[in-house]
Amino acid sequence: MKKLLLIAILFVGSLFAQVKGDVEVPYISYQIKMGKGFDAVQANCLMCHSFGYIINQGPQSRDFWAKKTEKMVTHFKAPITKEDAEIVTDYLFKYYGNGKIK
Amino acid sequence: MKRREFLKTSIAASAAILSTTALSAGETHQPVDNRKVSNMAFPEKRPLITYSDRPPLLESPRSTFARGITENDEFFVRWHLPDIPTHIDTDSYTIKIDGLVEQDLEISLKELKNDFEQVEVTAVLQCGGNSRSAFTPIAGGIQWGSGAMGCAKWKGVRLSDLLNRAGLKKDAQWIGFNGKDNAAYYETPNFVRELELEELNDHVIIAYEMNGEDLPYLNGFPLRLVIPGYYSDSWVKMLSNITVTNKYKSLFFMDIAYRVPDNKCECETPQHHFKPTKPITNMNVKSVIGYPENGMKVYHNSHVVVRGVAFDDGHGIREVLVSVDGGKTWDEAELKQENGRYAYTEFRYAYKPTDYGKVTFMTKAINRLGDEQPFAKDIGWNHGGYKYNGIDEVTVEVV
Repeated sequence: MKKLLLIAILFVGSLFAQVKGDVEVPYISYQIKMGKGFDAVQANCLMCHSFGYIINQGPQSRDFWAKKTEKMVTHFKAPITKEDAEIVTDYLFKYYGNGKIK
Repeated sequence: MKRREFLKTSIAASAAILSTTALSAGETHQPVDNRKVSNMAFPEKRPLITYSDRPPLLESPRSTFARGITENDEFFVRWHLPDIPTHIDTDSYTIKIDGLVEQDLEISLKELKNDFEQVEVTAVLQCGGNSRSAFTPIAGGIQWGSGAMGCAKWKGVRLSDLLNRAGLKKDAQWIGFNGKDNAAYYETPNFVRELELEELNDHVIIAYEMNGEDLPYLNGFPLRLVIPGYYSDSWVKMLSNITVTNKYKSLFFMDIAYRVPDNKCECETPQHHFKPTKPITNMNVKSVIGYPENGMKVYHNSHVVVRGVAFDDGHGIREVLVSVDGGKTWDEAELKQENGRYAYTEFRYAYKPTDYGKVTFMTKAINRLGDEQPFAKDIGWNHGGYKYNGIDEVTVEVV
């Protein structure tokens, strides 16, 4: 009985030993197209998420980028001013747009 | 250096996206399949196809679909919020159950593993936006190839056992699940899921183990919800709170994200988004080829074994058909089903190439209800790019 108990304890103890210390998520430096408005992207977007999260949405319309930016304000409560939202949208459409307004 | 090589990968990825815009408007096609894994490994992972570091978004390569169980270090990763705890104190970690229960509970990991029946279920975990890159025009969201899915053996305790221990009050109707990931701003809503009590059966578990090991951090260590048959948006990671209510709370991730048009084709046009919408919930029938891969060369008169996986929401796979003539004729593949109805069904198909040049393998799964995969071109568009399940295609060259 004692032996059985010991085995049970060992079994439980064997879990949770796979990571030594804190995990660290690597930082990725994305190739970013520099241009007018990038400062606003850096200040307003990259606070919360990577540049990869933006560019891997694929090239999109102006309307798409405007709505995404608006979503960040309305649903995710990002403190982006109206003026900055416009600048961010222009930048994204110019460098990561599909050429279509809608 | 790693960074430069990663940049090459990300450039290749954007190029792949750009090329799809040239396709004729509206026709759904094969998902992007030419992205390579990066050289940068995330914690407990091999290098995977990498979209973002914050939040981490990693895709499994096609080769993982040649096996019925996906290795933990190749399993895809998708978080919604950027701030993930990078250290969990397993001695003090608890899961809280409150709301409309007789008794609030706070259960430690040790209690969870000792005081409840331990159960296992093998189940497919697939992002609702898996294969999103198949849609034209490009649907909003990460442009996943086919690798935002995997299948693992999950071990843990039944959700119903926990709820019974707490004792549900009479008017309990909704169960809310919240994990430990956080946004950059306090005001950002948490990624909370709410499921109706009647949706939750005894197969729903709170898992601490995946394929015989602890869950990797990036897959939700130390606890995650496992809802076999459902898309992964409901499988809350780093689960810390379960709240029982009688009223549905309006939540961004429930009301706006992860929804499709509530019509028969679940489709709409970019100009007119269809209303009403419904949550994506149950997975549709799908198969993906793991071997061979696009662009490979195979020898004339050699023996090629096509391998892949098929699954649905738990009704079970009845057959997987393979075509090498563009879908004119179909031949049955051999199936291996040893992990239950929520798991990958493995299929294999022996083929001897007798003609030189290109040959395309197509696979189509059919489930026990008779639901079968459509051709990609017959799948209607939806603005979230959800639920793509087109007949898979891999083209190789016979030399």
